Amino acid sequence: MKRRGRGIACMWYPIGFTVAANPSAAVVKINEDGTATLLTGTVETGQGSLTILAQIVAEELGIATDDVHVVSADTDTTPMDTGAIASRTTYVTGNAARLAAEKAKGILFEVAAPLLQVKADQLEVCDRKIQVKGFPQRHIDIGDVADRARGVNGQPPIGSATFNPATVALDPETGQGKPFATYVYATQIAEVDVDDETGEVEVLRIVASHDCGTPINPMLVEGQVEGGISMGVGFALEEEILFDASGRQVNSNLTNYIMPTSLDMPEVVVEIVDSYDPTGPFGAKGVGEPTCVSTAAAILNAIHDAVGVRVTSLPATAEKVYAGIKAKRAQEAKQITAG
Amino acid sequence: MEKKPAAVVEREARVETRDVVEMLRAPAAAPLVPLPLEVLVPEARQQTPAVRQRATRPDCRLHGLGQTKYIDDMYLPGMLYAKIKRAGIASARILSVDTKEAEAMPGVVAVITGRDVPVNSFGPSLKDQPVLADERVFHAGDGVAAVAAVTEQIAAEAIEKIKVEYEPIRPVLDPFESLKLETPGLHAPNPNIYGHKVIKKGDVAKGFAESYRIFEGSYRTQMVEHVPLEPHASIATWDPNGRLTIYSTLGRITLGRADISRTLGVPMSRIRIIATIVGGNFGGKNEITTEPVVALLAKKSGRPVKCTFTRPEEFASSTTRHPLVMDYKTGVSREGRILARQIRLVLDGGAYCSWSETTLGKACILSAGPYQIDNLYAEAFVVYTNKTMTGAMRGFGAPQVCFAYESQMDDIATALNIDPLEIRMLNALKEGSLSPTSQKLHSVVVRETLLQAAQRFGWNGNGARS
Repeated sequence: MKRRGRGIACMWYPIGFTVAANPSAAVVKINEDGTATLLTGTVETGQGSLTILAQIVAEELGIATDDVHVVSADTDTTPMDTGAIASRTTYVTGNAARLAAEKAKGILFEVAAPLLQVKADQLEVCDRKIQVKGFPQRHIDIGDVADRARGVNGQPPIGSATFNPATVALDPETGQGKPFATYVYATQIAEVDVDDETGEVEVLRIVASHDCGTPINPMLVEGQVEGGISMGVGFALEEEILFDASGRQVNSNLTNYIMPTSLDMPEVVVEIVDSYDPTGPFGAKGVGEPTCVSTAAAILNAIHDAVGVRVTSLPATAEKVYAGIKAKRAQEAKQITAG
Repeated sequence: MEKKPAAVVEREARVETRDVVEMLRAPAAAPLVPLPLEVLVPEARQQTPAVRQRATRPDCRLHGLGQTKYIDDMYLPGMLYAKIKRAGIASARILSVDTKEAEAMPGVVAVITGRDVPVNSFGPSLKDQPVLADERVFHAGDGVAAVAAVTEQIAAEAIEKIKVEYEPIRPVLDPFESLKLETPGLHAPNPNIYGHKVIKKGDVAKGFAESYRIFEGSYRTQMVEHVPLEPHASIATWDPNGRLTIYSTLGRITLGRADISRTLGVPMSRIRIIATIVGGNFGGKNEITTEPVVALLAKKSGRPVKCTFTRPEEFASSTTRHPLVMDYKTGVSREGRILARQIRLVLDGGAYCSWSETTLGKACILSAGPYQIDNLYAEAFVVYTNKTMTGAMRGFGAPQVCFAYESQMDDIATALNIDPLEIRMLNALKEGSLSPTSQKLHSVVVRETLLQAAQRFGWNGNGARS
C-alpha cells in the first residue's frame, strides 16, 4: 500500500569563501552609442551568471540587458576573478561589475553636467537617458553623452573596479569570527508516496522557498532551484559511488550509477522570499549551491512521516526503507505479543 | 523481407561508402545550419530597469540551435588526441613504467609519464596531488602515463600497451581506520588527519545539564559524482614564441593558470587560458585535470593536443562529494528550544586534499543549522583514504549536515509532540542573531521562507504525530 508523507527542511548557506580572500575585478566600457561591454574573468558554466552580470551593469547604467555584451573567461583579455565557485558570482563579481559601471557612468555625468547646467551629483540615469534628479524632462540621450565623451572631451567612459567580501579571521581555538559577508536561507517541503510492500519512494511534489536577496533575474533563480532539487532527489534516493574491497569503483557509468531523469522529477514549486541585502549589488546575494542543500533532508523527513521509518544513511534506497518497515513491524508485533 | 524505407537505405549506403579511417579522423563539429540573421530579441532583454527582468540568456539561442562550441566541437589543424593510462589499483608503489610498445605503434606521436612533469604537484591548499603519479599511486583513478595519437582510438589502444609494474600497498578505505593513530601514514609526510576544525560557543555541559531531554543520533552520507553533461576536456597549443594557449572546461581560470604555470614551470605571462561555455560544473571543474597533460604532449609532439574524459574517468579521476559520518547530541527545553548541541563530523577526504579544507570549514560552521543555539561545540576532521578524491561540490558539506540536523529536528518534534513547522519557527535565526561563530547576522529570513513554503504547500498545523 502506498503511504503518503510530508517533510520539511530548512537551511542556511554562506556566499563566498570561508574567510579567505576571493576577489573579483571587472571592467566596463561604454560604447559611443550608449551600449556597453563588460569584461569579467568568471566562467559561464550553464547557470546564467553572464546574463545576471549584464543585468547588473545595465541597471547601473540605466540601459537594457541586451545593451550589454559580456566578454568572459580569457586570462589574456579579462580581469582576475576567483571564478564560478562558492555561490559567489552574483554577489562578488556582481558588486565588482556594478562598481566598474558606476565609475564609467561617473565620466558620462561629468560630460553631461555642463550640458544640463547642473553638478554631476545631481544627475541620474533612466531608460537610456541621463537626467536631472527631480527634473526628468531635463535629459540627454546616453548615447549622445558617450559619443561626446570620446569625441569632444577625449574621455572614453571606461571604469574598472574590484570587490572582495568583508570577513574577519576565525579564532583558531574557538572558531569565533566573521567567516562570510552574508548568508542565504531557504525552506523546502517534500511530499512523497512510500510503497510499504517494496520500500520504493516516489517524490510527488517539492515546494521550495528561497532567499537570494533581490532576484536579479527571477527566471534564472527558478532554473537554479529546479536544478538543485534534481541533484537533491538523486542524493536522497539513488546516487552512490560504490567500491569493491580493493578500492576500485564498481559503478562508474550511467547504467549502474542511478540518478534521476526528468521522469523521476517531482512537481516543483519555486517561491522567492522578499529579501534585500544592502551589501549586495542592488540587494542581491546568490542562489547557486543552496538550492540542493535541504532537498534530501525534506524527502527523508517525508519518508519518516509516511511510514515511521528513520533512515539515517543516504541514499534511502528501496532496500533500506523496506528493511526499516520490516524492523518496525517486527518491533510492533513483539510489543503486541508482550502486551 | 520487409522493405526498408528509402531514407534508411540511403543512410546505410552513405555510411558504407565512407572511408572508415577518414571518418575516425574527421573533426567532431556541429553541422553548419543557416542562421536567421534577423534575431528577435525578447522584450525582457530590452526593458529598463534591467534588474528583476526575466531576461533570456544569449547562450540559450546557441544551445537551441546546436551551435554552442564545446571543447568536443573544436578542432585545430594537425590536432592529436590524448588518453591517460589509469592505475586501476588503489594503493601501490610504482616500480617501473614501460612505454616502448606504445611508442612504437603507428599513429602514436608522443608518450609521457609522471617523470616528465616539471613540478609534479598541485592543489588549492595542500599541494599533495600529482599531475600523473610518478612514485606512488594513492587511488585507482590516478593517471600514470599519457599518449597523444592521430586518433582517439589509437591513443586508447596505446595506453593498453603501457606496462606498469606495481608493488601493492594495502589500501585504507574506511575513514575510521585512517583516524586511528596506529594506521601508518597514508600520505606521508602529511598526517592522516589533514584538517581539523572546532567551533566553540557558550558552555555545552551547562546547556545539557539544563535540558529537559537530550537526543542523540548518528547519520551517514555517501560519495556522489557531479555528473556534468560535458566531461572535463581541454586543448593545448603552443605558438613559435613558446606561448601556450589552453582551451578548457575550467570554471576557475585564475587558479587554473597558476597551477598550470607551477606544474609546467612556465611563467604566467606565457600562458593563456580560455574557458569555453562549460556544460555543467557543480564544483567539479575548479581544478586542473587534463590541462598540464595536453600541454606537455603538445610540446613534445609539436602539435595541438586534445583530451576529453570518458564517463568512467569523470567518476574515478575527478573529484566527488565528501561522505560524512555525523554524530549529533542535542539538548532541548520542554517547549522544544535547543539549549545545547554537540557535533562531531568525520569527512572522508579521499586520496588528495583538493577542496577539503573549505568543505571541512563550511560543514563545521553550518552544522548547527539555521537555529539560535547559545551552547555549541562542533568538531570536524578530514582524513585521507585510498578512495576517489573528494573536493568541491555544490554545497561544500551543507547537504550532508542539513540531512543530519533536520532529521534530528523532526525526531525531537515527534518526541515532544510539536509540529515540525512550529519547532523550526521557535528556534530559527532572526535578524541580528549571533551565528555559531558569533557573527551578527543581517537580512535573515529563515522564518519568512518557512511560512512562505508552508503556505504554498498547504501545511496545516496538525503535523505533530504522537
